[in-house]
Amino acid sequence: MRTENEIIDDFTTREYEHGFVTDIDMDILPPGLNEEVVAFISAKKEEPEWLLEWRMKGYQAFLKSKMPEWQNFKAPDVDFQGISYYAAPKDQPKYDSLDEVDPELLRTYERLGIPLEEQKLLAGVAVDAVFDSVSIATTYKEELGKLGIIFCSMSEAVKNHPELVRKYLGTVVPYSDNIYASLNSAVFSDGSFVYIPEGVRCPMELSTYFRINAQNTGQFERTLIIAEKDSYVSYLEGCTAPQRDENQLHAAVVELVAMEGAEIKYSTVQNWFPGDEEGKGGIYNFVTKRGICKGDRSKISWTQVETGSSITWKYPSVILKGDDSVGEFYSVAVTKGKQIADTGTKINHIGKNTKSRIISKGISAGYSNNSYRGLVQIGKGAHKARNFTQCDSLLIGNRCGAHTFPYIESRNKTAMLEHEATTSKIGEDQIFYLNQRGIDPEKAVALIVNGYAKEVLSKLPMEFAVEAKKLLALTLEGSVG
Amino acid sequence: MLAQIDVEFREQILNDYQGVSECQVCDKPDYLVPIREVAFSFFQESGFPTLKNEDWKYTPVKRYLNEPFEVDQEDTNTIAPADAPYFGKQLPGYKIVMINGRFDPEQSELPDSSQCTIAPIIDVLREPTVKERLSKSRNYGANPFLAMNTALFTKGIYIHIPKNVKIDHPIHLVHYAGGEQKQFNITKNIFVVEEGGEAEIIESYYHSGHAPVSFRNSATEILVEPNATLHHIKLQKAHSNLRMVEHTEVEQKQDSLYNNYTFTLPGMNFVRNNLNLDINGSNIESHMYGLYLTNENQLVDNHTLVNHREPDCESNQLYKGILTDRSRAVFNGKVYVHSIAQKTNAFQQNNNILFSDDAAIYSKPQLEIFADDVKCSHGSTIGQLDDEALFYLRARGLSKADAQSMLVNAFAFDVTEKLVDEEIKAMLNEEIDKVMTGVIS
Amino acid sequence: MLEIKNLHAVIDGNEVLKGLNLKVNAGEIHAIMGPNGSGKSSLASVLAGREEFEVTDGDVTYKGQDLLDMDPEIRARDGVFMAFQYPVEIPGVSNISFLKTAVNEVREHQKLEPLSARDFLKRTREMQELVQFDSALANRSLNEGFSGGEKKRNEIFQMAMLDPTLAILDETDSGLDIDALRIVADGVNKLHSKDKAFIIITHYQRLLDYIVPDFVHVLNDGQIVRSGDKNLALELEEKGYDWLKKEPVTS
Repeated sequence: MRTENEIIDDFTTREYEHGFVTDIDMDILPPGLNEEVVAFISAKKEEPEWLLEWRMKGYQAFLKSKMPEWQNFKAPDVDFQGISYYAAPKDQPKYDSLDEVDPELLRTYERLGIPLEEQKLLAGVAVDAVFDSVSIATTYKEELGKLGIIFCSMSEAVKNHPELVRKYLGTVVPYSDNIYASLNSAVFSDGSFVYIPEGVRCPMELSTYFRINAQNTGQFERTLIIAEKDSYVSYLEGCTAPQRDENQLHAAVVELVAMEGAEIKYSTVQNWFPGDEEGKGGIYNFVTKRGICKGDRSKISWTQVETGSSITWKYPSVILKGDDSVGEFYSVAVTKGKQIADTGTKINHIGKNTKSRIISKGISAGYSNNSYRGLVQIGKGAHKARNFTQCDSLLIGNRCGAHTFPYIESRNKTAMLEHEATTSKIGEDQIFYLNQRGIDPEKAVALIVNGYAKEVLSKLPMEFAVEAKKLLALTLEGSVG
Repeated sequence: MLAQIDVEFREQILNDYQGVSECQVCDKPDYLVPIREVAFSFFQESGFPTLKNEDWKYTPVKRYLNEPFEVDQEDTNTIAPADAPYFGKQLPGYKIVMINGRFDPEQSELPDSSQCTIAPIIDVLREPTVKERLSKSRNYGANPFLAMNTALFTKGIYIHIPKNVKIDHPIHLVHYAGGEQKQFNITKNIFVVEEGGEAEIIESYYHSGHAPVSFRNSATEILVEPNATLHHIKLQKAHSNLRMVEHTEVEQKQDSLYNNYTFTLPGMNFVRNNLNLDINGSNIESHMYGLYLTNENQLVDNHTLVNHREPDCESNQLYKGILTDRSRAVFNGKVYVHSIAQKTNAFQQNNNILFSDDAAIYSKPQLEIFADDVKCSHGSTIGQLDDEALFYLRARGLSKADAQSMLVNAFAFDVTEKLVDEEIKAMLNEEIDKVMTGVIS
Repeated sequence: MLEIKNLHAVIDGNEVLKGLNLKVNAGEIHAIMGPNGSGKSSLASVLAGREEFEVTDGDVTYKGQDLLDMDPEIRARDGVFMAFQYPVEIPGVSNISFLKTAVNEVREHQKLEPLSARDFLKRTREMQELVQFDSALANRSLNEGFSGGEKKRNEIFQMAMLDPTLAILDETDSGLDIDALRIVADGVNKLHSKDKAFIIITHYQRLLDYIVPDFVHVLNDGQIVRSGDKNLALELEEKGYDWLKKEPVTS
């Protein structure tokens, strides 16, 4: 058997399989950020005046914002002037049919395992593919349209449903929320828009696939999902990027609005390029995700499997405003090499009888640092609110760190909160037991880690749970002796 | 940054620093001068902590500081220790009387000098153990009060337990506060228990209530040497005119045991406890037990930090809170396990009951783990009394109030039962019962 | 002693008792049987005064008073005892000090002097013996870490100490092995007298081999669908409950 160190070394040098670059003609704005850039993006997208004004407010807020200091890592000095804020495949940004799409692009998505031709798609999954800054294809649009469901790129939504976008954009994550949300508000390029009308259960998984391709670009997409009364939608995002030496910024914003009795399930499988074994390159994944349970008995559930990015810094949150509303957060975050993850959630209990459940599983290996940071806040009026939080950390080797920073605040005497956290390692006896049954150490680790993360993985839509399991096994390949 | 507080108070602080640094008659050992300078320039720069400081996020100290305080003025006329009914007065043992931080040997009842050394801190600055404690580098960023304390202290007590000596009775420190003017007092204490030694140190507090408000900025440096034992009990109950920040740094060496018990009861309107443990040897055991029972508009904040630097140690934190009226409490505990500290067992538990819709609790238990072969866990709960248990007791004939009080006592009992000292245990249980009877009925 | 007329009760919006009638006289032992979900435990809960249950119609008279109007502790002090199906664990509350408080509350209510420490201890010993309850358990925290059987025996021990007039045993026999069952039944038989009544709620006929009931009632869907003597229990054991569900109310 190999020694622990050999195996860890082996694992830390494992290559990123999505690290290829697509060779395609791009329309790229020169690096730099100023009012002209913001105006250019807005003009390029033929946006209405109000949206340009809103972008400008975001830009002003960005200028005034300071970098936060509370996080458990040194925030990198992002050179905001060194980033290009607009990159799109050269031809027209949106295609009327897939036949018009550059075959190179289609091949890119094929290679990523996301075929865009409907006949090849996983049954029951509609996909919006975002390549660098723009949405290049949305599938199953017509079929969804028959139910009154709108699933399109944000740019299309601005053109075709401006009243909806204007009504909800920035209502959950205001343009002044934090420095990266402000930046996103100013320069967001595209993203997905979902609207589920009253009483409709969306019959298929909606999915966006993000791909950063161009060099020196940031990706600033914005997603808005609105679920009207008694509707239901399950949404999934996946992401990859080519392997590059310099860091690239991904500063997205996701806003969810659930009306009375509505349910939104939002799942993420994040596999951006994590940087090389020296910690060079990789994506800065600084994303603001927030949902509001606006109506009574509404529900928002976040599930995330985070394996990529050199720094993952995000806290998908839920504001539980409606009475009897429910918020959930299920997370598996795996860090290795020199990756950093500072992730968790914020749940704000405002309404009566609101419930929340947080399950976080952190797995650290190599020289990485993995932090859970979560805030559960019970407001004065949140009568009989309930929260349960469980966050577990698994350490592989003693060169990595696992950190738990829960913030628990209650101002209501009838509320009940419970928080538990444990730290453990993969036991040699567990591995030995599996070895003895004929399973090699690598498979044994995969098995144990998958078992450890099972509660979260089981929350993913079926088609993606399988992918996520494979991803976990691959990510941690050979990480323990 | 000091600009935020009362002008007179600010003047006082600056004058006090001048007084300390230019004092002709005081002992100013070479090692201490730069330490004081660094601490003061830090404090001048940072000022008192604001809510932006992560370690003071829930603790608005400004409202407790914004008074024309006099800093470390000699003012003893208003205090008559003999009659003062401080909490814990009936407890037997040696007594060390501290008046506004100044050791008063006249009124103290000390163990004989063969057992231990007890002296005003300012007289022993050249003792190697004192020098060693004061030279430790400290995190002023998280603790601006400590920077102020180090820069300005002239008062406080030194307790030294020699090798293999077991003090026959508890040593009871009684901190009297108050004066004709509003007082701000700075105290630095050092406790050293040498190898194989054993002691129990109890701390009590007193403020008459007739005197104007008093602020106590106290820092205690503790060294528990190999195989030594220290039981450290704080009975924090005094008049609401007393406010305080008590900073405690403990360094433990191999095979030692340190038990801290911090009880904060209704009274003082602001209490902040920092308890930092440096686990600096193997086979060390540390227990930190806290109980805060708060009422009216009290703010009680307990911050703990346990630094596991060596393998095979065990630390255990249990903090429980019962909050009534408009009171607020903060628990912020951190366990830090360095990569070398394998086989560490570290536990941290914080449970709270809110008895009022105007009360608020902020709990932040944290783990930072860099070693893989460890057992670390934490838990935090906030809730009310268990309805099922209440019904059960009522179905056996207990009135609602009695049933509640029984459950609250049981909740608190978890902490008090950890006390080895039966007299203190009985005194506390009685006091908790008394307070809760008022709340429930 | 106890008269239940047309009792309707609701929990979480579901009606669980739908017009239940029952009369219990002093000295009688009534067994209430029925399938899961028939309302047996709901009946016990309503009689003991659990606040989650809302009585929407009907009356319950106990010793001439309106039982439903009384707080749970007043019922207990007036002699209504419920042995819980799932006794709670209360860490930190010692079994003995809790029981002493309870005994003296009941005595005070009955205008009796509180028991002296000595008398209390004496009584504790007697009753422990009577119900074969380990004195080590008596000194532990209330039900904390007790096995299922120990918890049930603790209920019977408390019943012995509190000396109620009406005891309701809510599935006290569930999950007990045969020895524990015998001990529980022995306790009940020893405590039974002409002034006292028992309502024994059970799912199994087994317990009734040891405690002989005067009446057996079958509860289904919130109503008593049949009443009879101890032979009814044997019949149920043989045929199950299904045959009763189909028949109209005959009692």
